[in-house]
Amino acid sequence: MTAVLLDGIVLGLQFGLLGVGLTVVYGLAGVLNLAYGPIAVAAAVAVSLSMQSGLSAGPAVLLGILTAAVISLLLNFTILQPVYRQEGETRVLLSLLLTIGVAFIIDGILVWRYPIEGLSLNIGGDPVSILGVPMRTGSLLASAIVILTGGALIAFFRATTTGKAVRSVIQDEVGARLCGVNPARVRALIFALSGALAGLVVVTEAMASPVTISAGFRLTILALLVTVVGGLGSIRGAFLAGLILGIVNSVSSFYIGAYITTIILLGAAALTILVRPSGLFGKHA
Amino acid sequence: MLEVSELSTGYGAKDVVRGVSIDVREGEAVAIIGSNGAGKTTLLRAICGLLPVSSGVVGYEGRAITNLRANEVARIGIAFVPAERHLFPEMSVAENLALGAYPKRPDAKQQSLVLELFPRLGERSRQAAGTMSGGEQQMLAVGRALMSRPRLIILDEPTTGLAPRLATQAYESLAALRVQGVTILVAEQQVPLALRLADRGYVLENGEIQLEGPAAELRDNPTVRRAYLGIA
Repeated sequence: MTAVLLDGIVLGLQFGLLGVGLTVVYGLAGVLNLAYGPIAVAAAVAVSLSMQSGLSAGPAVLLGILTAAVISLLLNFTILQPVYRQEGETRVLLSLLLTIGVAFIIDGILVWRYPIEGLSLNIGGDPVSILGVPMRTGSLLASAIVILTGGALIAFFRATTTGKAVRSVIQDEVGARLCGVNPARVRALIFALSGALAGLVVVTEAMASPVTISAGFRLTILALLVTVVGGLGSIRGAFLAGLILGIVNSVSSFYIGAYITTIILLGAAALTILVRPSGLFGKHA
Repeated sequence: MLEVSELSTGYGAKDVVRGVSIDVREGEAVAIIGSNGAGKTTLLRAICGLLPVSSGVVGYEGRAITNLRANEVARIGIAFVPAERHLFPEMSVAENLALGAYPKRPDAKQQSLVLELFPRLGERSRQAAGTMSGGEQQMLAVGRALMSRPRLIILDEPTTGLAPRLATQAYESLAALRVQGVTILVAEQQVPLALRLADRGYVLENGEIQLEGPAAELRDNPTVRRAYLGIA
């Protein structure tokens, strides 16, 4: 049982970070980015290709994360520009339609050009015993990276002037502008951050199990689930929801079965929304 | 300091405010009075860059700032306090104040000035802005605006949602601000309060300036007395 729980926590931390990348963009720009998963996969492919061309793992990973950040930024500066002229529900709907199109395009390019590509990062070393459970070094390293990144993110949003400016735009865009914050610049920053997080999560995933190019859809759905359960736009909500869903995922795939797990995850999400319609830390809860 | 000439603006095709000219000199307090829906908010939003100007010029210290975006206007020494306040509800009082100084770090001297003006904000510095009372939120909105050390502060209906006693207090703090040399432009429905603070005033009705002059003169004007002061 301890092993299953620990597995769940490792997974949940990744889920959380994945959700944060999607939720900040929604909170900030009113955009639900359905191309989020495929962007993550593009990062994985970039890492894999760079390693094949002789780059060592560290720089390759950085290059992959950078790739995802750049794609995400491009999205912000091109196809999403007309979306920003709309407000409220129209904006959300329009962003859904456009980003699902982008998702298909990225997915299509990947399947066409790199059909058998995938990313698997083997971290050597003997298993380390934690609470009497032998854990793979890869999982531990992945968790360490995720925890450090999460901590750095929280510190950034709480303590830095730029981080506060980001939160100000999320909470009241007019108020932020009156304080001299330029929402367009904050948006660019957050899109880059979101892409980078997608890339980072997929890299940490690859440390435990291979990521194939078909993972995009699953990653998007997962991020959406975390975002909705945590409350759209809530950063701490995403972390908490990620942990919960990660543990649910591990427990259910161990005791019930992997195929049913997706349904159980959806059920857990539906249940949360039934009890708290705007999620754990939703704006209007 | 602020010169608005022949300004027209509105939402969509039809201009709500038409050909309005007002000016505010350094160190002055100027009131724009008028009934609900007269166009006061629309005018102020256009000056501050929250609403596009369809024609006319907004000049600030000899330079045209027409259609400068709100976040840029905020950085050239003009602070706007909207009637809806637009605070950051989930952030603490201290964080709201700190963002007022954006992009700089909050200036300690300015912060103590603000807290001197509104001691309540110091007592509540860790409380979330959204959980405060209307009067406290109004203080915070003005305090946040002051953190940028503005030379001109523009307020839209600072008494919105305040009980009479609190409304009077709000104007007392504005009077204290004046003494410190901050130039004030205020739009107000509560005409007696506004005319007591202001040196000069404009009467805005149906999107046009109907009347202007020194505050004392406006107070004695029969039309103003009848329409806004409730005196026959």
